[in-house]
Amino acid sequence: MENNYLLTYLIFLPLIGSLFIFFIKNDKISLVKYYGLFISLITFILSLIIYLSFDSNSSDFQFIHKFKWIEGLNVYYFVGVDGISLLLILLTTFITPITLISSWSSIEHKVKEFTFFMLVLETGMIGVFASLDLFLFYIFWEAMLIPMYFIIGIWGGYDKIYAAIKFFLYTMLGSLLMLVAIIWLAVYSIDILGEFTTDFTQLLSIAPTIKRDLQIWMFLAFGLSFAIKVPLFPFHTWLPDAHVQAPTAGSVILAGVLLKMGTYGLLRFNLPLFPDATIILAPYISVLAVIGIIYGALVAMVQTDMKKLVAYSSVSHLGFVVLGIFAINTESVQGAVIQMINHGLSTGALFLLVGVIYERTHTREIADYGGIAKLVPFFSFSLLFASLSSIGLPGLNGFVGEFLILLGSFKSGVLNSWWFTIFAATGVIFAAVYLLWMYQRVIFGELKNSKLEKLYDMNSREILVMIPIFVFIVWIGIYPSTFLNLSEKASKKIIYQVFNPTTTFTNKLK
Amino acid sequence: MFYSIKEFIDFLPMILVASGILLSITIELLSKRSVNILGWFSVILFFVVGIISLSNTGSQSIILQNMAATGGYVNLFYALFNFTGMLVCLLSIDYLNKYEASFGEYYILVQTSVLGMMLMAAAKDLFVIFLGLELMSISFYVLAGINRKRHNAIESALKYFLLGAFATGFIVYGIALIYGTAQSTSIDIIASKFINLSSNILFITGILLFLIGFSFKIAAFPFHMWVPDVYQGAPSTISALFSTAGKTAAFAAIIVSLFALFSSGASKIITPYLSVISILSMFFGSIVAISQTNIKRMLAYSSISNAGYLLIGLASANTEGVAGVIFYLTAYSLMNIGTFGIVSIIESKEEKNLEINDYMGLSNKYPLLAALLSLLMFSLAGIPPFAGFFGKYYIFMSAIKSDLTLLAILGVISSVISVYFYLRIVVFMYFKESQIQLEIKKSFSGMLALFLSVLLIIVLGIFPGGFLNIINSTL
Amino acid sequence: MRELIYLTVFLPLLGFLIIGIFGSKIKSEKFIGTLGSSTIGISFLITLLAFFETLSLPIENRKFIITLFTWLKVGGLDVRFSYLVDQLSLVMALIVTGVGFIIHVYSIGYMHGDKGFWRFFAYLNLFIFAMMNLILADNFVLLFLGWEGVGLCSYLLIGFWYDRKFENSTTADAAKKAFIVNRIGDFGFLLGMFLIFLTFGSLNFEEVFSRANIFSVSTATFGFIALFLFIGATGKSAQIPLYVWLPDAMAGPTPVSALIHAATMVTAGVYMVARCSIIFASAPQIMMIIAIIGLFTALFAASIGLVQNDIKKVLAYSTVSQLGYMFLAMGVGAFTAGIFHLMTHAFFKALLFLGAGSVIHSMHEEQDIQKYGGLKKYMPITSITFLIAALAISGIPPLSGFFSKDEILWYSFTNNGFLFWLIGVLTAVLTAFYMFRLYFLTFEGQERFGHDKHPHESPKVMTYPLIILAVLSVIGGFIGIPEVFSGEHGNQFHNWLSPIFVDAERKLLKFGFHTHLEEIILMVLSVILALGSILFARYVYLKSPQVADNLSDKFSRVYKILWNKYYVDELYEKLFVNPVVNLSRNVFWKFTDGKIIDGLIHSIAKLIDLFASIFRKFQTGLAQFYALIMVFGIAITLLWIILSF
Repeated sequence: MENNYLLTYLIFLPLIGSLFIFFIKNDKISLVKYYGLFISLITFILSLIIYLSFDSNSSDFQFIHKFKWIEGLNVYYFVGVDGISLLLILLTTFITPITLISSWSSIEHKVKEFTFFMLVLETGMIGVFASLDLFLFYIFWEAMLIPMYFIIGIWGGYDKIYAAIKFFLYTMLGSLLMLVAIIWLAVYSIDILGEFTTDFTQLLSIAPTIKRDLQIWMFLAFGLSFAIKVPLFPFHTWLPDAHVQAPTAGSVILAGVLLKMGTYGLLRFNLPLFPDATIILAPYISVLAVIGIIYGALVAMVQTDMKKLVAYSSVSHLGFVVLGIFAINTESVQGAVIQMINHGLSTGALFLLVGVIYERTHTREIADYGGIAKLVPFFSFSLLFASLSSIGLPGLNGFVGEFLILLGSFKSGVLNSWWFTIFAATGVIFAAVYLLWMYQRVIFGELKNSKLEKLYDMNSREILVMIPIFVFIVWIGIYPSTFLNLSEKASKKIIYQVFNPTTTFTNKLK
Repeated sequence: MFYSIKEFIDFLPMILVASGILLSITIELLSKRSVNILGWFSVILFFVVGIISLSNTGSQSIILQNMAATGGYVNLFYALFNFTGMLVCLLSIDYLNKYEASFGEYYILVQTSVLGMMLMAAAKDLFVIFLGLELMSISFYVLAGINRKRHNAIESALKYFLLGAFATGFIVYGIALIYGTAQSTSIDIIASKFINLSSNILFITGILLFLIGFSFKIAAFPFHMWVPDVYQGAPSTISALFSTAGKTAAFAAIIVSLFALFSSGASKIITPYLSVISILSMFFGSIVAISQTNIKRMLAYSSISNAGYLLIGLASANTEGVAGVIFYLTAYSLMNIGTFGIVSIIESKEEKNLEINDYMGLSNKYPLLAALLSLLMFSLAGIPPFAGFFGKYYIFMSAIKSDLTLLAILGVISSVISVYFYLRIVVFMYFKESQIQLEIKKSFSGMLALFLSVLLIIVLGIFPGGFLNIINSTL
Repeated sequence: MRELIYLTVFLPLLGFLIIGIFGSKIKSEKFIGTLGSSTIGISFLITLLAFFETLSLPIENRKFIITLFTWLKVGGLDVRFSYLVDQLSLVMALIVTGVGFIIHVYSIGYMHGDKGFWRFFAYLNLFIFAMMNLILADNFVLLFLGWEGVGLCSYLLIGFWYDRKFENSTTADAAKKAFIVNRIGDFGFLLGMFLIFLTFGSLNFEEVFSRANIFSVSTATFGFIALFLFIGATGKSAQIPLYVWLPDAMAGPTPVSALIHAATMVTAGVYMVARCSIIFASAPQIMMIIAIIGLFTALFAASIGLVQNDIKKVLAYSTVSQLGYMFLAMGVGAFTAGIFHLMTHAFFKALLFLGAGSVIHSMHEEQDIQKYGGLKKYMPITSITFLIAALAISGIPPLSGFFSKDEILWYSFTNNGFLFWLIGVLTAVLTAFYMFRLYFLTFEGQERFGHDKHPHESPKVMTYPLIILAVLSVIGGFIGIPEVFSGEHGNQFHNWLSPIFVDAERKLLKFGFHTHLEEIILMVLSVILALGSILFARYVYLKSPQVADNLSDKFSRVYKILWNKYYVDELYEKLFVNPVVNLSRNVFWKFTDGKIIDGLIHSIAKLIDLFASIFRKFQTGLAQFYALIMVFGIAITLLWIILSF
């Protein structure tokens, strides 16, 4: 098949663009900002072009670009997208410019480096979603840590170093075990295909032939790194620290995209590669997911720091996604996919809003606020709107995802028990508790803190950032078909692969 | 003494270096300002030799009455030694004044040590290995203490000498035992006799003693004790040489002497030994490095743990392993040269600014240096897309191929630990602000060396394919 | 007109958007008020026309569905934005838009001068939008959209005066409480939906109900579905145990209490049960539970109403109690009666609240009835209309309340026996008592308010709605005159709704034979008792007030319990809220996250550091020691060889 370079351009455009930043004079800060924004917008447009020319009726990977990359190892540069990865790529390219605009005034020093790292990060993220060779995937997966590490470490808060290192080591440990598993698979492929390969599409046909107990080990090795990224209880403790310390842009990217890599990885690799293990382990993972949903919500409820609260809410929301993935039926998986997007939008919006208010008052303590509704009407509205979408109010995006996930998990044959859904659904109650409670304490009541009196409402730039997010929140809530259709074929294919693993090869035991 | 012109050409690299040494000595005798001349001279010499040997990997031949081999990976090692030497000399040119050791001998000794390494790599006979080893080591001993006025330099030189001699003793004893049992010191003959010798405890003991000796040279646990003191005491550029070319040479020796045996199933005996010391070295190195405050000592421990990774490659006892070792040695040499290079540039008179604390807030005043150093650190930590990652990947692959998956897992765990102290440097440079700003005089030659090594690290990281093919073609 | 029904949904939405976006810029209250009310008015007209159109059609084609677009189509799930026009939804739509319109108009006067005037009308329109979705939905998910939507509006409107205190907490607290308690109900509703989807493979009313008739589904499954759905209903319609939010909901402006927390939203649960009658009818045990909970809620709330002094509080508890009646009706299978009472209650309860509002308005936000008295001469219209409403709710013939309540009592007698009837009547008696306690203390007797207050009749824009509602409260009952009186036409309201409930009623088939005589006897009995308690109230609160004090002294313990609403809020606080918060803060966050998980990680780090500091000790700097270590290494190696040979 002949190659389509579009995706490659999309992946490397931000990286190439980022390099030229260093040709801009240090004092021309606004130029740097505009340049970075420009690049990210071009990237977004490019991704839209890909979206428009994407054929959602086919379940195959599209925009494939493949060539032999490392001779000796038979590693390919192999990228392509299906509906799921395309959705996530769109989310990435959509969020990046927003974060750049949002940090227009909040990032004062080392603007050049900041923009540089953001763009590099974007390349990394798109690359992760587009890679179809495990080696390539791993490269992007790891390389992406570096810019994030710097973003937290340089522009972070009071405890940034601890957070940055915790984030790095945590993710590193997981992913290195995955690396071993990847190599193991590639070596395994020698026995069957006669060649050492990390080509995902080829491994798809051989990995399921691994005998069960080994599959479980492989599953866990992959799963751990993804579980840490998600983060799945009990691997979540890096998240609050990273979120609280990271600058707004960092938190938004972290919540908006990085966490999705974990769930994406589970969906893309764990399920189809290790179907037997998946079916065996699905209930256990789902238990963790449900614990995460409730635990995250309850802990979020008692937070005193807005950002920490939102961070823990992510644990809860991602729990829904994981539950959806491992319920393994069309409703739940589609719900999980759409919920990934939803969480990106809602939580992204929440972090942006916390950032907006933090920029003015330099405090995130809920107790320091109260009764600011009069002073900042639009902010109050936005916060309510974002919260409601995150609570899962029907008509907004959150509901679509949660409803499908819960519905799917309820009828799931793999989980085969109501209890998952019953417990998970309590998360819907708690979400209302912690978000509305925060909202009430921040927005309502009388104005006590005198420092807040000179608080001013969101400026046009900040509003400009919010509007597109809100548009999508409503769009997905009212007419999700636009997005569901995109990923439907891909989701169905993965489900099919789990239940009918390709057994074109005799089960050679290793 | 040559049977053919071809043999002469194959032999050319060694001849060139040898004659280079003689020429240098004469220059040293004649010229007053020999240092600067010799500096650039050896840079050029190493470069030329490196190129020649790299371009000549194709033609393999046995020369000097089966004493030495050329071509194949031997030439790769040649190239590695010479290029390393070149970079070290580039770094030294300005460093020496700062270090108050502007003597011509310096470069001559570097050349002799390189010649020694080349002999070790080329050896087809245990005695040739020994010869090369001594030539290298003795030059090292002197280089460590090149500045007589520095006490810690003298001390480190002495320690290195004493312990080195101690270790060499075991090598000789090992050779003796091997000779005694195999009635020969020729590696080929030993290999051919291996099957029926493998049950002979004395023979095995000999091989292990031989290995132990080299374990000392590659700074593997528990024969690593000298490393931190020597690296810290010796001039930074020389520590760079120890940790790169020195290690490489020792590995080369092990490979040339054992690679032949791998095929004949020596792995049964050797693998367990190598695995054990590799695990110990990895973990010991990475763990103790965490508590270091002096950057040179930290790098010393990092070099111990890296010895561990390299040993995984040997332990897996297959061609991938060797290829992995060669690749990783290359990457590692580049990374260490780069790192020590920056250390030597930042180091000021009287060896100040060697504490990690001195690197605080470096990124503000010297963004370029900081960027390069953090890149090197990421590469050392084995994070893609840099050469260090690919080297590790290849070595782990070889381990998994020969069912040493556990070794690979331990390897990744220890590299997670090592991430901590590599990133600590980055933390200091970027995430911390310092009051006192250190004054750094960037030297052209030094920066040149830096750029070369970093560039290669990136290239080898992103497009390792080409170099990998060269390696594989030579095995 | 039926195909235009979706306008009744989207006109209010339009109103909400316009007022919501530009409201803050528009200064003129008149414009906002007119716009806000007219959207609802037009919706009402459309509904009315649709109603008559439907009326003119033969019964079999009275059902009409209009689909706008697909909402959720995933796997087996296919949910559309489509609206169902049938007898039931039309009745509901008429009530909502009708009463809604009246209250909108009323609000123009009531909210006059409030800085949040535009916000108020925006929310009110949004509420109608959501409510119309709820009642016109032709599938559970769309119903749920409305269901949650009205919850949101109730949240926004309860907390409308977000910076005010309310009792010992804030309005915001009351709002949050309402939303969260409703969420607890919604949790049940969601599970109900899932189980329905699992059982019938659809969430569309048509399919689900027809399949519920055909499919052979175990009673247990039906039971679970019904139970889950009923949990949802208890949340929305303030039944035990989830009624606690409704009294606090009075923190909102009075028109809100009238519209949302009396007339329309809180009846959503009743509507939903009626809508799913077939499912509930298939789960007799749950029907019994519903009946009991309804009955008990009615009595329980009424008893609290006896002693409350806040005029809105009394009305709130009376609402809870009346809702209890409606669920009693549902529980005994008298679906039509339940809906009938829903309608009449909407009239007179809205009237009561608006009347109360008018009083509060003129008494400068004073809500304590002990500080009222003798207001009759200051505000005649208000007092008369209020009296009518009080009579209606007390079930005095021939006012609307009489017919609807009596029908419920009758059915509970015939279907569930005498005890149900008795408790029902007892509740009616209490109701009559506290309503007239309210009336007398407010409008009759001597004035107990200070001279700073200058009570006055409210403006026309507020009194006309009162009058209209009063008229409805009087005549509203006549459409549902039982056949005892109406003879062979039978009960009109019945005939109208019967097609909706025919399947359910067929399933129940437990209407034992009873004579008209019994019916009349019981009827008369209940009326007499109600009148009795009215007179008693008059005696206690008008003739000899000291009796009231004596009573409260004599039964001081009972009084105290009632006054504190049986301490239910405190109980919930102790039982659920505090434990959960403590668990989350101390066990989960501080301990599990802080100590266990992070503790583990940190201790690993510490361990490594420990090793590091130990091993570096070996680096003594002594060459001979180094040599020693090497020797050890060698020794061990050699030992290993020797052993391995």
